[in-house]
Amino acid sequence: MDSFLQSLNIQVITDIAIVVLRILIPLLGIVVVFQCYSSMRRQRRDEKPLIMLENKSNGQILPVLCWENSVGRAKRNDIVISDDLAVSREHCVILRRKEGWFISDTGSKTGTYVNEQKTQGRTPIYINDEIRIGKDTFVLKRAQDYTDVNRSWFYKKEGSKEGIAPFALMMLISIFSLFMATEACLSIEATDFQPLLVFAVFMAVAWTFYIISTKVFKRVGFELEGIALFLTSIGVMLSVRQGLHQTYVQIIACAIGMGVFCFMIKFLQNPDRVNKWRLAIMAVAVVLLLINIVFGSVRGGAANWIMVGGVSVQPSEFVKIAYIFVGASALDQLQTRKNFIIFIIFSAICIGALFIMSDFGTALIFFGTFLMISIVRSGDYKTVVVSAVGAVFGGLFILRFKPYIAARFSSWGRAFETADDLGYQTARVLTYAASGGLIGCGLGNGYLKYVAASESDLVFGLVCEELGLIVAVTIAIAIGGLFFYSRAITTKSRSTFYSISACCAAGLLVLQSSLNIFGATDILPLTGVTLPFVSVGGSSMIACWGLLAFIKAADERTYSIRKR
Amino acid sequence: MRQVRTRSIFVFVLVLLFFAGIIFFTANISINSGSWVQHIYNWHTSGNGGLEKAGKIFDRNGVVLAQNVDGERVYNDDYDTRLATLHVVGDNSLNISTAVQSVYRSELTGYSFIWGLEMPETFRGGNNITLTIDSNACKTAYEALGGMEGAVVVMNYKTGEVLCSVSSKTYDPQDPPEITEENEDEYVGAYLNKVLSSSYTPGSIFKLITTAAALENIPDIDSRTFECSGSAIIGGEKVSCMSSHGTIGIDDALAQSCNIVFAQLAAELGPDKMTQAANKMGINSSFNVGHSPTVKGHYDVKDAEENDLAWSGVGQYTDLTNPMQMCILMSAIANGGNRAEPYYVEHIGGGDFTKQYTSEKNGTAMLESDIAQRLNDMMRYNVTSNYGDYMFGGELTVCAKTGTAEVSDSEDNNDAWMVGFVRDEEFPLAFAVAVEDGNFGISTAGPVAVAAVQACVEGLSAEE
Repeated sequence: MDSFLQSLNIQVITDIAIVVLRILIPLLGIVVVFQCYSSMRRQRRDEKPLIMLENKSNGQILPVLCWENSVGRAKRNDIVISDDLAVSREHCVILRRKEGWFISDTGSKTGTYVNEQKTQGRTPIYINDEIRIGKDTFVLKRAQDYTDVNRSWFYKKEGSKEGIAPFALMMLISIFSLFMATEACLSIEATDFQPLLVFAVFMAVAWTFYIISTKVFKRVGFELEGIALFLTSIGVMLSVRQGLHQTYVQIIACAIGMGVFCFMIKFLQNPDRVNKWRLAIMAVAVVLLLINIVFGSVRGGAANWIMVGGVSVQPSEFVKIAYIFVGASALDQLQTRKNFIIFIIFSAICIGALFIMSDFGTALIFFGTFLMISIVRSGDYKTVVVSAVGAVFGGLFILRFKPYIAARFSSWGRAFETADDLGYQTARVLTYAASGGLIGCGLGNGYLKYVAASESDLVFGLVCEELGLIVAVTIAIAIGGLFFYSRAITTKSRSTFYSISACCAAGLLVLQSSLNIFGATDILPLTGVTLPFVSVGGSSMIACWGLLAFIKAADERTYSIRKR
Repeated sequence: MRQVRTRSIFVFVLVLLFFAGIIFFTANISINSGSWVQHIYNWHTSGNGGLEKAGKIFDRNGVVLAQNVDGERVYNDDYDTRLATLHVVGDNSLNISTAVQSVYRSELTGYSFIWGLEMPETFRGGNNITLTIDSNACKTAYEALGGMEGAVVVMNYKTGEVLCSVSSKTYDPQDPPEITEENEDEYVGAYLNKVLSSSYTPGSIFKLITTAAALENIPDIDSRTFECSGSAIIGGEKVSCMSSHGTIGIDDALAQSCNIVFAQLAAELGPDKMTQAANKMGINSSFNVGHSPTVKGHYDVKDAEENDLAWSGVGQYTDLTNPMQMCILMSAIANGGNRAEPYYVEHIGGGDFTKQYTSEKNGTAMLESDIAQRLNDMMRYNVTSNYGDYMFGGELTVCAKTGTAEVSDSEDNNDAWMVGFVRDEEFPLAFAVAVEDGNFGISTAGPVAVAAVQACVEGLSAEE
């Protein structure tokens, strides 16, 4: 016993503490992400129809379940009127706005009539109005009991217990960050308390955001914000031992991002208002890109930076937000194919501008998002095939005229063989990622941080090295989960504008993560894009919060006032 | 709105691909992490970084070749032993890539995929490694080299255990030289284990391959006689011999290493059959010794003129062989055609688990058994009729062949070789010695081979 006590000197106690922290950090990370999604899966509105259409001739009831409902003969519609050739495949849209219910004919052959008046554009409808679609006349009725069977697997069964309270979630994230900060204090190269100071500043920002969100805006959910804060805290803590300045810049960017997030949710409240601003948003985006082309400076092979008052800004990041704005649309506009041509032209401008800047990684993200939006909007796979062929030619064009891109392809998949020249970064990512094992070498103990771009393009390797593979995979799951959530709420959103923008914003974030993670780990060629919320980079951080706002806005709970 | 949900299946597929990629990466890193961490640029392990808690390295007799004393890596007490075992054991750096301390560094330092490479020191426990080499035999061989550069390898051809492996140029791992631009000429090849990683012009030892090709393809080879008048014209150009052997049969031709006979045989057999024999005997192959590959030898007569082909049959032209590769060939001749699978590491393990690295691949056929037996006898005849059994002390039944490869016009600038094996049951040793800038095979490589083999025999006797 005596010898056991003697062996417990300070060194041993510290070492035990370090190992315990290293095990707790991944475990807590898993708990945070699990609690966020688990909570999202529990919160679900009862599937009660809002109003109903009653067929005047035979009394058949058609429930109106969504905020925007397509009506037509085709099976894919929300409300199907079959066996009547006078009804067009996509006949009209019944939609709900703050002012009440509207019906909007979407180019049907026989027209839509309200109380025997042929409608033009959005027409308000009221209870007991008679709506004639094709041969049949329907009476608008208040909803009765009706159970929907069409529910997403994402949601848990009704009656399961309550999800985690936002306050508890914030506490978990705080403890997670505190663990990381403590571990960073005990790193090999430097032992000081700077990481705790950074932790304090970051927590001040996070809790302020939490209080504003729950107390001022009275929002019910905090899960999406929780995911973002979880990812951001990892990025911030990884950055502490690399450079304090960049760490504080990252926190400031996060605070600005939160502001953008709140502003956008406010702005997105009315989907029709957004539609009016579409052209203006597009113009601003184009101007941003033009400024970039004219004043841009080259960094890492791409001229995608401009200096604004001593701060370097990456305009293409903000254009991502504008791109989703322009791409998404309300259902009646979707069906009349308004705005689609404008979207295609805007896409061409964005991708073209990125080519001129030689920012091919971001161009690829825009192209991928273009495909996502086009398909989700139109279901038109022809456009996709044509664009993909175009992209292949574009890709060949790049390889022909930009030899350094071709060089990246030549080292792709051969990181270790080319470790001294072209595969320098990826070979080190793999070696150091493996050196971290499952639980990591500890924050600040890594060596990948001395490799150029390790805090941004190669950050996934840095996570693997310092925090271990478990945390790295948890990050991937957290980002991928955003899409499953977005998809689960598509039919619950207040407009297709929200569901399209949420799905595609999540798709964009996942695509960007793919390019980052697989580029760094030699599964794809290295393209040099950031990992959402984790990579150091102010513009990227702000843009990620902006994209997250689309997903938040798609959740109808966001705009409902808390009952308590 | 249902349409939007349906159409988002496209994005759904992309997200599934993302997860498939993550699963792929996770599987990949789980399987390969052990080799991914083994790179010279990994600062977790290079420099003194990784070895503070590394395990000990023992030779076959339990002699400590490397261990940690107060956090410092300390190598064997004896200076010559340190120099002799450097290329097998390695130093603190990862400069000698085939050395045990480089290849098995993660095992030595106790790397595990769960805990990574930076466990706090309290918890870091390395595994000990026991080697098959006899450090005393290595030291004897190194001293026999007497400052000459080259490679010595002796292995047990029954089991594949490497007993002696020495490479020179060498240096002291306790005090490694800082190699700069100014002194780099002095240390050329110091980071190479020449046993595995160098190849030399074989000279007359290649006649064994030509003999094997002749035995296989020329039915009346045993009864044939040849004429040697000191030189001959083959393919319009001269091939010269050390002396004028007169009328001579194949056995005496090999024993007296007559160039004319084997040059003629190579020309007669033609490039295809010669290449076939060389390939079968592994000249153009790489062999794995533990986790380290040997460098490939070289036999390529695709573009050779007839005279070149003739010279290739006596181990000149562009021929190259590697010492370990020749030792493996010797094991095949000694074993009736089946080669041994050499290895350095007897076992790795500390605590509860022991990983066995012993080989199961012994016995891959390299030669037909009758040809192996014939070569075996011919090599025995070399010793009895030419070198004499007294060369190896008189008590061992040694079969051998020497080689002197002319790599320049100077007489002291030859690659001197001696390869062979001991027939005796209790001492199943195959050996290969290559010395750079030597005189003749028998005078330069011979004494080194004798010293190494005798030291191994002594060691094995002591074990019994």
